[in-house]
Amino acid sequence: MGGKGAPVLLAVGLGGCVLSGCATDQEEPVAAAVGAFFAAVERHDGPGACARLLPEAAKSLESGDSSCAQEVLKLDLKGGPLRDVQIWGQEARVRAGDDTVFVSRWGPQWRVAAAGCIPRRDRPYECDVEA
Amino acid sequence: MRKALRDNALTLFFLLLMLGALVGQALSGHSEYNNQQVAQGGGTVSLAHYLTTSAFAVDVSENWQSEFLQFFLYIFVTVWLVQRGSPDSKEPGKEGTESDADQRVGPHAGPDSPRWARAGGLRRTLFANSLGLVMGGLFFLTWLAQSVSGRAAYNSDQLAQRQDPIPWLDYLTCAEFWNRTFQNWQSEFLAVASMAALSIYLRQRGSPESKPVGAPHHATGVEG
Repeated sequence: MGGKGAPVLLAVGLGGCVLSGCATDQEEPVAAAVGAFFAAVERHDGPGACARLLPEAAKSLESGDSSCAQEVLKLDLKGGPLRDVQIWGQEARVRAGDDTVFVSRWGPQWRVAAAGCIPRRDRPYECDVEA
Repeated sequence: MRKALRDNALTLFFLLLMLGALVGQALSGHSEYNNQQVAQGGGTVSLAHYLTTSAFAVDVSENWQSEFLQFFLYIFVTVWLVQRGSPDSKEPGKEGTESDADQRVGPHAGPDSPRWARAGGLRRTLFANSLGLVMGGLFFLTWLAQSVSGRAAYNSDQLAQRQDPIPWLDYLTCAEFWNRTFQNWQSEFLAVASMAALSIYLRQRGSPESKPVGAPHHATGVEG
């Protein structure tokens, strides 16, 4: 019984991952990454907020002498209660209050790929910061 | 053992080829996937992780469904349509499911006929259509798998491009789903049409897919 059950469980598990990107067990880490980003912004911890961004997103905020840590605090990112987590493969989307945040997997972690995003009709979201 | 290998050489050869090609697809697909991830500013994944992604699943299933559709259609359509001169076709005039005597079913079954060919009713009907039904079933299952995994891969791309994911029913009306489907179907239909037509005039000595080399061009249903 056990010998036959294992392949079936494996197939179901892999099938589940294919369908949802193993979404259910990743909702918590995704939400935690977004929560940690907004918590750092709220306590004016620029370096902490930038450490939660994808490197490309952090780099996009740098200009001239201005660093990511300075710029990220000027964006007026407020966040809010986290809801409606959607995870597909290596990508995720989370609502944080009125804000929409996109998150990408970075090695074993999830990092914020875009924040301060507002929807546009039939076009990609417009984001204050993105990779 | 040696006899078993020889008796099943054709199936084993193509199964091994399939596995080799699948490994090649996995390795090249993994490399391409990681290139895209890096280009989008994201992180790379291991080969084992890539094999569980919807991107790999949709690339595999979209090809599988079209192959099963090709054989499903060929099996069923050749019951009713003929191609004069083709070794894969019946003689013109024999279109249809043919008589019980021709098909050796029921009272016409021989002592070596499968049990369900001797049976009557549903069992005989099922067995008489089992090849087409299984191919058709595999086609629908793999097409369903393509739609489910394709939607997951599509939604991942949507999020990477800062757009919202879509429900499965919306994906079924999406250009991406039909583009993946039609680009596979057209190549299968071309292959079948060219095989049916070219085998009228061309030969491959020793192959049962060809007529004997000396068979006339108009000879139909004759295997070499």
